[in-house]
Amino acid sequence: MTARHRIRVTVNGRSYERDVEGRRLLVDFLRHDLGLHGTHVGCEQGVCGACTVLLDGEVAKSCIMLAAQVDGHTLTTVEGLAGRGELHPVQEAFRDAHGLQCGYCTPGFLLGAVALAARGAILEGDALRAELTGNLCRCTGYQNIVEAVERYLKQTVGGATRG
Amino acid sequence: MDKLPWVGVSVRRKEDERLLRGAGQFLDDLDEIAALHVAIGRCPYPHARIRGVDARAALEIPGVEAVLLGEQVIARTEPTSVLRPFPGSSRTGYFAMAHPVARYEGEAVVAVAAADRYVAEDALDRIEIDYEPLPHVVDAERALAPGAPRLHESIAGNLLVGSTSKVGDPAAAFAAAATTVSGRFRINRVTGAPIEGRGVLARWHDHSRTLELWVSTQTPHLVRAQLAQSLRMAESDVRVVAPDVGGGFGIKMCVYPEDIILSLLAIDTGRPVKWVEDRIEHFRACTHAREAVHELELAAAADGTLMAVRDRYVIDVGAYNSPFGPPMLTNVMLPGPYRLRDGEFDRRVALTNKVPMGPYRGYGQPESNFVREVLLDRLARKLGQDPAALRRKNLLRPDELPFQNISGALYDSGDYMHGLDVALDRIGYAGVRARQAEWRAQGRYVGVGISCYVEFTGYPSSAFLGRTGAGFGAYESVTIRMDRAGRAALYTGVSSFGQGTETTFAQVCASGLGLEPDDIIVHRGDSQGTPYSVGGFASRTMIAGAGAIAKATEQIRAKVFRLAAHLLGAPADRLEVAGGVVRRVDDASVQIALAEVTEAAFLAHRLPPGEDPGLEATAYFDPPVSAFGYGTVAARVEADPRTGAFDLQRYVLVHDCGTQVNPMIVEGQIHGGVAQGLGAALFEELVYDPDTGQLVNGSFVDYFLPTAADLPRFELEHLETPSPSTPLGVKGVGEGGTIGAAAAVANAVCDALSPFGVELDALPLTAESVWRALERARRR
Repeated sequence: MTARHRIRVTVNGRSYERDVEGRRLLVDFLRHDLGLHGTHVGCEQGVCGACTVLLDGEVAKSCIMLAAQVDGHTLTTVEGLAGRGELHPVQEAFRDAHGLQCGYCTPGFLLGAVALAARGAILEGDALRAELTGNLCRCTGYQNIVEAVERYLKQTVGGATRG
Repeated sequence: MDKLPWVGVSVRRKEDERLLRGAGQFLDDLDEIAALHVAIGRCPYPHARIRGVDARAALEIPGVEAVLLGEQVIARTEPTSVLRPFPGSSRTGYFAMAHPVARYEGEAVVAVAAADRYVAEDALDRIEIDYEPLPHVVDAERALAPGAPRLHESIAGNLLVGSTSKVGDPAAAFAAAATTVSGRFRINRVTGAPIEGRGVLARWHDHSRTLELWVSTQTPHLVRAQLAQSLRMAESDVRVVAPDVGGGFGIKMCVYPEDIILSLLAIDTGRPVKWVEDRIEHFRACTHAREAVHELELAAAADGTLMAVRDRYVIDVGAYNSPFGPPMLTNVMLPGPYRLRDGEFDRRVALTNKVPMGPYRGYGQPESNFVREVLLDRLARKLGQDPAALRRKNLLRPDELPFQNISGALYDSGDYMHGLDVALDRIGYAGVRARQAEWRAQGRYVGVGISCYVEFTGYPSSAFLGRTGAGFGAYESVTIRMDRAGRAALYTGVSSFGQGTETTFAQVCASGLGLEPDDIIVHRGDSQGTPYSVGGFASRTMIAGAGAIAKATEQIRAKVFRLAAHLLGAPADRLEVAGGVVRRVDDASVQIALAEVTEAAFLAHRLPPGEDPGLEATAYFDPPVSAFGYGTVAARVEADPRTGAFDLQRYVLVHDCGTQVNPMIVEGQIHGGVAQGLGAALFEELVYDPDTGQLVNGSFVDYFLPTAADLPRFELEHLETPSPSTPLGVKGVGEGGTIGAAAAVANAVCDALSPFGVELDALPLTAESVWRALERARRR
């Protein structure tokens, strides 16, 4: 249908080289070409954030990007947080605070929180809630997500600052 | 079960490990099975005759394998059955595709199966459909008025069903009342909008002529029953599996048209076919909820004692009688927690050219709670009474329970007054009242609103459901099978959609078997291999499920004791099991590891005489009655009388769901329910343009789900009155959070702006709607 493009991309530390259709969405490439099903699709309009990934360390909504756009870039998806090892601290914080129910929006929130920590932000309450508006959750009412991210940021950023 | 070591414990959820790693398996993740991908063409008009479909150009596209049309669907299937038909209405729903008339924007008209979704969508673009637009109606009261466009030839006046009922002597009560109040209220049309839309994967096994359907559903067994009926197949020839489900909230239950469409395409192509709903489709293809207009009247004595209620209401059910049926709890729970003995109801269910209505968290209860609680505050203002005092005068006392309300619901237990008092105390009600005048003098309009509710959870027995025409029972079931190593596998037909059932079922099971929750492996949501199940909805899973687990573990424990008695040479009735060890109650030195007993059961080398090998049990539990949760919401707002804008400053919810199996999960359920209650109260509304009949805001860009910044921090207080009538004393909790939200906020805004005489009667409550109410009040 449309022209194909050869792209090279690093996802979760692993290099891939693939031919993709020009119109292939990044999220479809990740999910259905690379088999990384942890990145989810909720709206295909860049509103709900279920498809959030890290693109060179910054949050990006993979449902409104084309796979061809990430040629030469580095991505992190939820599968890259813990690999097959122990849970990442942000995952532990969500588990301990009951910050997830159905788990569908969760990967997007986790990556958003990791990006917040990378900015060195220690946020809480309303300031943190304002930062979380790029991700929608329909199960939790956000309260436990806010608590999980507060804990994680305090532990990670706070700990790093003290160290 | 006498000792329940894992009930009441906030153990970590079993679901979380996979979900946090992105390793959950949702419907769209089933790439290994899916061979073809389906896109569905939907009617762009609210009402249209389909004069012809030309799919030739689509079939020429490489990769397109099949096209399915409405006339084929109608020839090959039956319309869906209605599981909970409204009294007096038909049990027949509708066909999976429109032919020759489509009755709402979004109704499926054609489907394409192709090598991938991109190609399937390309093919849809090449299909020519000749529509003849027909007159439409998207307002329920207009639909019932003379001369309205008619949706169905067989249904006169677009009235799906109407009925009246009366208890006591409401006419006499109204005539004798010192005062009456009335209001006309409009409830907004909303939808559950889980972040995962629906999805279906169908696979036909030609050699055995059996169908396998993977579907994002709360109720695999009910979907199987309805699907088999529509496809004219035996239930046993259909397997329905729910993988991880990304949120349900009631909208992912029952069969949907796409389940039938995908099944037919799987049969036609002989290959597994997958369809995943996109969000634009979701708003047009997934059931809507709640919309209704109520005309409510209350009669009271001079001191505020309620005497009678009258509610005349119209539900806008959309274009068809949907596969569950219209909400019935609206009038059942309208009396709420109050002492009301006389009342009458006039219910009408109207058909309009809109997406069909279906169950959504609370189904009828948030609606009637809003109209009652808002009108109660009007009564209080009319009588010059404090709204809390008025409620206190009318709330049922614990010594009056059990109490049968005028609609027949039997409230089992609780202390409604205490719930109110705790809520008032927590929000500082007296303090707000004391300072209101002072604040107003400073130009600050602070108000506090309260809303009391009772929540109907579970169903009062399968026999009751049968008498009321339902197509399902009230029970839940479980199979528990020990393994040789002393662990247990639990099989349930309930699927996992965020409610934590894997964890809470494991807690109840572990308590019964003397194990830990980690020792229980939960297999769920697959009609093949789980006993016949009803599913997860109506806040019923734990009420019915805990009973089934308790019965199954009792049977297993009894056999464990018989085997252990044989191995130990001790009497079976002197044994107990805990921590994976079976021991003598009166002599702990006489003991044997549970794993040794299970090994013996499966090796069967040394069984007592007459004992069969193996160690498993299947049990069903049919709750004899419903359980009734209850609570009080107290909300505090500050409003701006110039603009109508208001700030929801505090939100307190005191609730009682009886025994809590996992308090952490209970709290999460309440949080989620409150967020959805507030979403519908403040932000959400599906808007149809009356001129075009189109849904004008059907996307996440235009339909506002609350974000983290839109909601306050919820302040919860838990009361715990175990239900006298359910196993473990549990009451359902999934829906309660939604019920009281809208009324509490509306009452708080009216209270804040009471110097201006503001009355609110429509949802959602926005700055604009409050400003309009201010304008109306100024003109009066």
